[in-house]
Formats: sequence, structure tokens, C-alpha cells
Amino acid sequence: MLTLTKDRALALALLLMVAVMWVESGSIRPPTSWQPYGSALFPRILLVTIGLLSVLLLVRSLFTRVTPVASWRTEISDWFTRRKIVVALFVLFGLYAALLPLLGYIVATISFLVASFALLLGIDTKRKWAINLGISLTLVPLVFVIFRYGLNVWLP
Amino acid sequence: MTNFFLQALSEVGSFSVMGLIILGVLFGIIGGSIPGFTVTMAILVVFPFTFAMDPVSGVSLMVGVFVGGYSGGIVSGVMLGIPGTPSSITTVYDGYPMAQKGEPGRALGIGVMSSFLGTIISVAVLVFFGPLIASFSMNFRPWEITSLIIFALTLVAGLSNGALLKGLLAAALGLLITTVGYDRNSNLRFDFDLPALSSGFEMLPVMIGVFAFSQLLGNIEKLRDGDGNGKGVDTNVSIPYRQIMKDMAGQKLNTLRSSLIGSLIGALPGTGGTVANFVSYDQAKKFSRHPETFGTGTPSGIVASEASNSAVAGGAFVPTLALGIPGDLPMAIMMGVLILHGITPGPMMFEQNPVLVGAIYASLLIGAVIMVLCNLLLVRWFAKISLIPQQILVPVVLILCAIGAYALNNNLFDIWVLFIFGVVGYLLWKAGVPLTPLILGVVLGNNLERQLFRALELDPNWLTFLTRPLSALFLALAVTSVAFSLYQDRKLKRLKPATNN
Repeated sequence: MLTLTKDRALALALLLMVAVMWVESGSIRPPTSWQPYGSALFPRILLVTIGLLSVLLLVRSLFTRVTPVASWRTEISDWFTRRKIVVALFVLFGLYAALLPLLGYIVATISFLVASFALLLGIDTKRKWAINLGISLTLVPLVFVIFRYGLNVWLP
Repeated sequence: MTNFFLQALSEVGSFSVMGLIILGVLFGIIGGSIPGFTVTMAILVVFPFTFAMDPVSGVSLMVGVFVGGYSGGIVSGVMLGIPGTPSSITTVYDGYPMAQKGEPGRALGIGVMSSFLGTIISVAVLVFFGPLIASFSMNFRPWEITSLIIFALTLVAGLSNGALLKGLLAAALGLLITTVGYDRNSNLRFDFDLPALSSGFEMLPVMIGVFAFSQLLGNIEKLRDGDGNGKGVDTNVSIPYRQIMKDMAGQKLNTLRSSLIGSLIGALPGTGGTVANFVSYDQAKKFSRHPETFGTGTPSGIVASEASNSAVAGGAFVPTLALGIPGDLPMAIMMGVLILHGITPGPMMFEQNPVLVGAIYASLLIGAVIMVLCNLLLVRWFAKISLIPQQILVPVVLILCAIGAYALNNNLFDIWVLFIFGVVGYLLWKAGVPLTPLILGVVLGNNLERQLFRALELDPNWLTFLTRPLSALFLALAVTSVAFSLYQDRKLKRLKPATNN
């Protein structure tokens, strides 16, 4: 069985994207007499280019010798385990984006900062908590004041 | 032009704009001196603050960050032995050994003075060549511009450290991102029936998402692998001014050569400070009477490195302002900021916005003077700031990026764009895809499509791209750059097994 390498995964993901977008490009308005090239031509040129380059990448990856792994499922789960802090930060940011309109800038941002600092710095000493809360509780209102009153930008 | 420059100088010289340049330079130095933060990140963090400003103020602030950022790498390079930015890698080769010999002040002083002279010389290059190239490119028609953009993209993709195929893929992906939403004929593309996608993706949230997430989360990964900052530093630095003047007096030719190399390389698409840094250091070593002293703490090494990387600042503005084609990542973001302020960089900018062009020249000059003063007076503090841990820095910068994305249009969807492209950028980076071609694709995509179809509307024959001499030349250069990269890739691959053996 073929091992799922980075290049193979990338090529397959891009080919999938090209297929989806090619189908979607079918719903773009067709060319008319005063728009002879139509709006789909440029993206289709790009999709063909990406498709060809992805096939090249895939073919090249098949000729590269790789160390076989137990299974691609184990590979993927190992990948996530090795990067659990990064994945957790992404999850926190996604939550922040989702909660921002509900909680507003001040509450959502303080929550994100406190959680992120706790994740990255740890929560085992009082000093770490002091740094965490000290930065979160001063920086967030400060940025709010600068944007709201200094730059006239309304934050949510 | 002199009148416009004087008018620009009076605007830039006002109390408020001077204050902004000082702030920009300070922030740039701080950003540059924190290992892993980089000039680009400093520019990204500052740009939302320019939204409410007039163009001259906004651009002056950004230029201040740019000038400060390129010089900031020297602090951590000399004090910690870690380059603050990739463009100051060779500063470490001689700056750190000199600091270890008990002369950190001398190393910093030489570096700061070289940065200053490099910036000044590069501004002279910009003032001379900018209008010249702009007036030449006024003759460019859609065929030439299309071919020039293709050449710039292939050149950047080809310079992606042995990843030509992925570089080209990244450039094409960047171009594809710009096709989402209404096009030039008001036809909707790739909206997937989501109303939020109908207006397409804003350029800046995409750029920030792709670049900032991969950079910041990459720094977190490095920390986990035990490759982060955290070395001790002696911040009691005194600057021996007389010694530095003596050192610099013996480095006139080296300073001029390194600055010109930096300016020239800065003006080429896809190269930037890191390439300038290595080429200039290598040339200084070749021309030196004592090449054996390089790497042991010689002033020549520091001068070559710092003069060249700072000279990139002025050089990089040449293609951005004159052709509307940014050469590297910081310039792509700078171009995004100019577009945000309603200014389209390109040959017409010199005619339509001469005061703004003059303001950029003036900000670079004033920024260079402020940079020297700030660096010499506040170097102890910068050395301390360079120790801020990434664990604190990363969440704070992520928040500032989110606010920047939101403040662009007061639109929460832009934070989602930032997040989604953050995930995409991180995954592409992990897959070894260079991100600079992608970002340049995003910046140049709309213009490429517009010029391509303008050319085809004027003459439906595709062969015209090959029959017009300049257009054919740019396309030939594009093919050559791809062929050369293929040759380099093969050479690298052949060298790798030999090295392993």
C-alpha cells in the first residue's frame, strides 16, 4: 500500500479542490457577444495550471523513496499529537471568532488571551497567573481605547 | 519634482507625522530585535492603525516601521547570537564574536551606522531610478504588463529554495483566490451560494492569515523543539563613538559596495534582505585583504551585512512604486496598505501622487536619522525587549491581527477569512509550500486578469504576447527563470546525497 507523504497529500487535496471548483465554475455566467471571453476563462486557466502542477507533484512523489509507515491513520493521529498546542491555539482562535459577535470585543478578547496564555505559559505558579491576567486585563482595554477614541474604529 | 519633494518634506516634517515616524521606527526596531518576529510581522501589526490616517501619515508610519525593522535585527544578533530577522543572519557571524570579546557596544555601533548609510544610499538609488523606470514603463501596454507580472511570479516561485513546483503552485493558488466574488464584468464567481463570498476576499486578511499564523505557530513549534530564545544577555552596553568613527572611516568602499548590492537586490522581485545579506557578505570577504578574519568579529563583516540589508528598504520601493509590482513580502503588504488608502502604485503614481512619492523619500531619510538616534540611545532597552518570550508574544499578535482584519471594513467575516487562511497557510507551510509566491499572487491577481483581458479585447490574437518585443522578452525571462530554477533544484538534489555520504 502507498504511504501518504506530505507531497502526495498536498497533490490529492489540490486535485480535489480543482475538481470542486471546476464544477462550480460551470455556474459562472457564460460568454456573451460583448464579453467574448466570459468570466470563467481566467479561473479555468488557473485551475488547469494547478491541476497539471498537482499531477506533476503526485507523479514526482511516486518516484521518491519513502520509509513505509504502519498506517496513514496512525500517521495523521501522530501529526496531531505532536502539534497539540498549535491545534489547541487554532481551536481557541476559531472559538474567539465565533464568540466575538456574541460576547463583544472586551469579554471575548480577554477570554482568548487568558486561555492562550494559560495554554502556552502554564498555570502552575502564581507568577504565571499574574503575568497572564496582568497582560490580558491591561492590553485589551488599552487597545479598545486606542481604536475607539484615537482612531475612531468601533470594535464589536 | 523638487517642489513636490519640498512640499512632502514640509508635510512629513510636521509635529504629528514626525511623531508617527518615531513611533514606527521604535516599533520596527523592537519587532526586528525580537527573534522570530520579523519586519513583515511588525508591518502587519501596525497597518490597522493607519486606517483612520491620511495617506501621508499612514505611509510615513509604515516606512518608519520598515526602516526600524531592517535595523532591529542587529540587537538580538549581537547580544544573543540569534538573528532577529532572516535578513540579519550574517550580522551574527561577526557581531556576536565581537560582543563575546567584550565589545558589544562597538558591534552595535558599527551595525547601526552601516544601517544608516545603507538606507541613505538606497534612497539615492530610489530617487534616481524610481522616476526613470516609471517613465520607461509608461510605454507598457497590457501585453507587457501581463508578461511582466507572469515573469515576477515565476521568478519568486523559482527562488523558493528548491521547491519550484510548489512555488508555482502557490503563485497559481494566490491568483485563484482573487477570482472569488464579483469580477470586472459584475459576474459572480465561486460564491458557493454564500452571500459573504460575493464580494470576494479582502487582500489584507488573506495576507495576514497566510503569513502570520504560519510564522507565529511555527515559532511555538520551535519552542517545543527547544529551539527558541531564552539565552541570558548582558544589557550593560556602552557605545565607543570614537572607535566606531575610526572603524567606519576604514569601511568606505565596503559600505558603498554593500549598499549598492542591497539596493540592487532589493529592486529584484523575490529576493529581499536575506539574499542581499549573504551576497554582500560574500563579496566583502572576497574583496577583503584579510578574508580569514571574517567570522571572528571583524567590522567588515558587520558593515557588509547591515549596510546591505538596510539598503534593501530603498531598493525594494523601486519596482513597487515604479511598476506596481512588489519585490518581496514586506513590500507586498506595503502595497496593500497603499491600495487601502486609495493609491494604486505603478508608473502613474509619480504623476498622480508626486507628494506621496516625495513623502516616502522623506520618510525614509528622516526614518534613517531617527533610527540611528533611537538605536544608539536606547540599545539597552531594545536588548531587554528582545527577550520577550514567544508564549506572550504570539497570542497578543494574533489578537492585533484579528483587530486589524476586522477594522478594515468593520466586518466580522474578515476575522473568519483571517482564520481560514491561517489554517490553509499553516498547512501549506507544513507541506513545504513557499508562502511568498502565494501572497504575491493575491496582490497581483486582479491586475493580471484585468491586463490579460484588456490585451485580448484590443487584439484577440494570443500570439501578440510573443510578437511584441518587450512582452516576448518578459515571457522569455519567465521561461529562463523556471529553467534555471529546475537546474538549481537538480544541482541541490545531486549535492544532498553527496553531503549525506
